Amino acid sequence: MATVTQHSRFGNYFWPVLAWAVALIFFFPIFWMVFTSFKTDADAVKPENLFVFTPTLENYVNMTKDYDYWRFATNSVITSTFATLFALVVGVPAAYAMAFDPSRHTKDVLLWMLSTKMLPAAAVLYPMTFLTKNFLEVFDTHFLVIIVLCLINLPIVIWMLFTYFKEIPKEIIEAGKMDGVSTWGEIKDILIPLAWGGIASTALLTFIFCWNEAYWTVRLTTIDAATLSKLIEGNRAPEGLFFGRLSAVSTAAVAPIIILGWFCQKQLVQGLTFGAVK
Amino acid sequence: MSNRSLPRLLQTPAVVLLLLWMLVPLSMTLYFSFIRYVLNSTRRPEWMTPSLSNWRGLGNYEYVLFKTKDFWFAIQNSLLIVGSILILTVVLGLAIAVLINRSFPGRGIVRVLLISPFFVMPAVNAVLWINMILDPVLGLNGLAVAGLNNIIDGLQTFPVIGQFFAMWPDLEPISFRATQTSAYAVIMMVTWQWTPFAVLIFMTSLQSEDESQKEAATLDGANAWSKFRNLTVPHLARPIAIVVMIQSIFHLSLYAEIEIVSRGNGNKNLPYLIGEFTSNNIGAASATGIFAVILANIVAIFLLRMVGKSLMD
Repeated sequence: MATVTQHSRFGNYFWPVLAWAVALIFFFPIFWMVFTSFKTDADAVKPENLFVFTPTLENYVNMTKDYDYWRFATNSVITSTFATLFALVVGVPAAYAMAFDPSRHTKDVLLWMLSTKMLPAAAVLYPMTFLTKNFLEVFDTHFLVIIVLCLINLPIVIWMLFTYFKEIPKEIIEAGKMDGVSTWGEIKDILIPLAWGGIASTALLTFIFCWNEAYWTVRLTTIDAATLSKLIEGNRAPEGLFFGRLSAVSTAAVAPIIILGWFCQKQLVQGLTFGAVK
Repeated sequence: MSNRSLPRLLQTPAVVLLLLWMLVPLSMTLYFSFIRYVLNSTRRPEWMTPSLSNWRGLGNYEYVLFKTKDFWFAIQNSLLIVGSILILTVVLGLAIAVLINRSFPGRGIVRVLLISPFFVMPAVNAVLWINMILDPVLGLNGLAVAGLNNIIDGLQTFPVIGQFFAMWPDLEPISFRATQTSAYAVIMMVTWQWTPFAVLIFMTSLQSEDESQKEAATLDGANAWSKFRNLTVPHLARPIAIVVMIQSIFHLSLYAEIEIVSRGNGNKNLPYLIGEFTSNNIGAASATGIFAVILANIVAIFLLRMVGKSLMD
């Protein structure tokens, strides 16, 4: 590292050790959840079994019986996947047009799109319930959850894609135009192969956001389309009775996403700050 | 098809979808906020269907602002929660970003461990903290306090120093399920989740810092603190502003954590209050919703302006 600091012998050991300590403290709650998931419900609340216990997989084995885990997990997978796909299908052409054929309104359109993301969801809670329950009759359907997840993430999808597409030299796309390639051909044969990495990380990040969403998925579902957020929310107060099994189901709910998240740290910065921090 | 209309056509689905998503529910909220509209009323059944003949003007706003104590409490509590989280995440985020912005063994693993809390879904975050960690009896909070009491009890049997420890009272674990303490619990869990976000952004920004400037300062005899104060902090001003604004917008609409930690114990913020009103008084819920929109917009305007500047370069 290029930083020129007077590295004292003390500092050489102290700062790395401190960094490790901080990281372990931050990771501790997650570790504790995973750790507790291998205890029986009885062991989980006994102080004498705090660290020493016989590990068991029974909480994971019983997850289907106790919580109907797979049903909620399937709903989470279905809604997050299709919302992500749908957002890309709508977002890629839009971002393509904005990046390669900008008008003087493009900037305003982009900013306006972002502003929709900043509206507090709670403000439209009743209208959404009313519309979807009484009027459109789509309350508690996969269709509704997919559409809502897609819409709340669409601004970020378009933003991220836009910043990736801007990096591609315009000449490449224009060369395609000269050769008489259709717009669809340009997107399919030139843009998508070139921006594949950017599109993939946009998709990954969108999937994570969809999976973790906890307002609409809880409020607009009851049973049929309920996701993992709803499952956990419904078991919020076990009063210490079920710490073991609750830890297991929580671990199963977050583990896939934490691991996915490790792979898109860099994109996260761009996706969350709308490209404003480089 | 002319060359100009095609790009517009490609943007149309996105624009139309977002326009509908924004305008339809929001205009309904606006409409409901001006009429009397309740879900259950045996005395005034005509208020149960939304209609212009139930026009109430600014009555709902007046009711929310002046006739309920909840609104001001919710605003105050929202600001307490958001403000505390902002201060904690920015301070911790800066400290940690500077701490790991150097090479040391296992830096990659440290980064991975640090970022992990950010990907935990809010519902799991809240359930995990309030039960397994903060519960005054069965959580680590309760176990730690009980352990401390045991140690003190043990020390009391020693000669001489036992006299000193005999004067100590038994420690009581804090319960995080009361109104005010559950706000602190929310602050703790959200800070845990969002500090990694601040760290990530500050680190990205630190890596783009001009190293030659720092080296020059070192040659001029500047110490580490004055370099941090005079070079790094100004460089970080913009990312700090971004972190503050993005978090404000997210945390002003904090919901899952409050719902899980403090259902029914009186701790509420604006979105939670809207949820409570929605169980019957839609007029009041809508008026409160409009206030929430205004509050979010105050922050959003500054954020958008800042983002807009860096957009086209």
